[in-house]
Amino acid sequence: MSFTKKPGGKALDILQNLPRITLANLRPEPGTKKAEKKRGRGQHGGNRSGRGHKGERQRGNRPRLGFEGGQTPFYLAIPKYGYNEGHSRRAQYQPLTLNRLQYLIDLGRIDPTQPIDLTQLVNGRGVTIQPQKRDYGVQLVGEGAGIFAAKVNIEVQMASEEAIAAIERNGGIVTTGFYDPRSLAVLCKPVPFFLSGQPIPKRMLPGEDMVPYYTDAANRGYLADPEKIQKARIALAQKYGYVLPDISKDELFHMLFMRKDPRQIFFGLSPGWVVNMTEKKILKPTDDKLLQYYNS
Amino acid sequence: MFRISVAVCGRGISKMLSSSFSGENALPSNLRIPSNLVDHARAKRPPPPSDSSLPVLRRCDAAVPVHLSPVQTWVETLERRDSKLLGLVDLHPDVFAVPTRIDILHEVELWQRNFKRISHAHTKVRSEVRGGGRKPWRQKGSGKARHGSIRSPIWRGGGVSHGPRGPTSFYYMLPMKVRVQGLKIALSSKLAQDYLHVVDTLNIPTPDPQYLMDLIRYRHWGESVLIVDAGEELPENILQATESLKTVNVIPAIGLNVHSMLKHEVLVLTLEAVKFLENKLLWHDERFTPLYPFKLPYTDLP
Repeated sequence: MSFTKKPGGKALDILQNLPRITLANLRPEPGTKKAEKKRGRGQHGGNRSGRGHKGERQRGNRPRLGFEGGQTPFYLAIPKYGYNEGHSRRAQYQPLTLNRLQYLIDLGRIDPTQPIDLTQLVNGRGVTIQPQKRDYGVQLVGEGAGIFAAKVNIEVQMASEEAIAAIERNGGIVTTGFYDPRSLAVLCKPVPFFLSGQPIPKRMLPGEDMVPYYTDAANRGYLADPEKIQKARIALAQKYGYVLPDISKDELFHMLFMRKDPRQIFFGLSPGWVVNMTEKKILKPTDDKLLQYYNS
Repeated sequence: MFRISVAVCGRGISKMLSSSFSGENALPSNLRIPSNLVDHARAKRPPPPSDSSLPVLRRCDAAVPVHLSPVQTWVETLERRDSKLLGLVDLHPDVFAVPTRIDILHEVELWQRNFKRISHAHTKVRSEVRGGGRKPWRQKGSGKARHGSIRSPIWRGGGVSHGPRGPTSFYYMLPMKVRVQGLKIALSSKLAQDYLHVVDTLNIPTPDPQYLMDLIRYRHWGESVLIVDAGEELPENILQATESLKTVNVIPAIGLNVHSMLKHEVLVLTLEAVKFLENKLLWHDERFTPLYPFKLPYTDLP
């Protein structure tokens, strides 16, 4: 570029000729510091000090919020209905649009040449997951299916049919996997977990209500039969009208077919191992009972 | 060789003002400094010319934005009293040439003063003052005013109604990026006003404090000097020399802060300190929001 701006601009030029900036020269921007209202002082703050004239207002004895002078208040007059019943116990899944996924891949925040996991999404700050607030993971949403053009091996917790179709159309693979809250916390923030020195827990299997979802091939569940998943891929291609690309002939075939064991949280790390980040070592259990537990 | 005998304040701004409108060629009255406080022998050095014969000892490590160019300044040495220039150094414009925001410097300075402040002022309330449980005299018939306790706030020696209550903390944290920006602005303003000097190392020949004072006097640096080095281990000589001096101080680069930079007139950085500061301060321009506190390890933390 031939046009180079002078760094700092004219401000630094003017500064050269002004007195030295010292502790005595600093002042806030005019208008930012408004003087505090001093109650009970002076002509305007004094007299009744902003409390009004007599009564409960001046004497500080007003009734509680919502009280309507004895009339049945609004919040008691309206009957309850189970809209919010058990709301704090409902599972929440943070939506991830294909638009956003494409944006992250284009900017280089997510690497499509490696399997995309919830850890990768959180590291690239694509989604924000709060395991403590009943988040159970991320759900893939079909918005942006028209422009999505990336071949990825992605693992989410829920996926809509359109999103699955869009990813498989581009030669990628979608899997839905379940993470119980403790495993999800470990998955989202691995570094604080490793520093705590605990062994990697084994992932729990889904509860009764979610087992049908994760054993269904149409949702690409991780507990479903691989043959049924293949049939579902062909059926989806026929439904949406695209040609299903052959992944086995792909150069990234090995990466695309990487899948986690149902009890595994991280690729390459088994449950029961302890990761020591300061000394860069991994400690594995040797006791029989522990091995039996972690391999079950 | 680069000394131009121009008075510090007056002529420069008059040249700037006279180009836009004629008539007013003096500084406003609140910006004029009395002549006994101005060191007339201290001439402002113009920035190094682009065709200078001195070698560039250090280029910027990080990528400079395409629309900006690095600022340059001289590298001096502390080995000898007279100022021999060793070469030039490239300084990253996003650290050493950011636009000046006095209000950010003000905010950071106030924060530095107040966030550590714990005020221990504490007064006793009427219930805490010793005594005053009994009614001093009967309600009616004594001819005196009615009172319930001798330690009420109306009484001499009574409790304070609305006084300071116990240790109060004034702790608050400014956003990390505001504090980083404050450091960058302070460095830029020091460079722009010619109070920044870059030095190759802090090795001085003698641990004598007088040597440093002579050097500063000879080179007309200023009254107070803050010397910054990168690592924790500083040379013995300079530590000994500055120990007894009040106006000349040495700190490691992690200890650099806006208050110290504004309190001392001159800032002296070593080449390693420049590298360290650029590395640390530029990272904040293009980092992700923290997932967990920065005290825990990250792969890209400098």
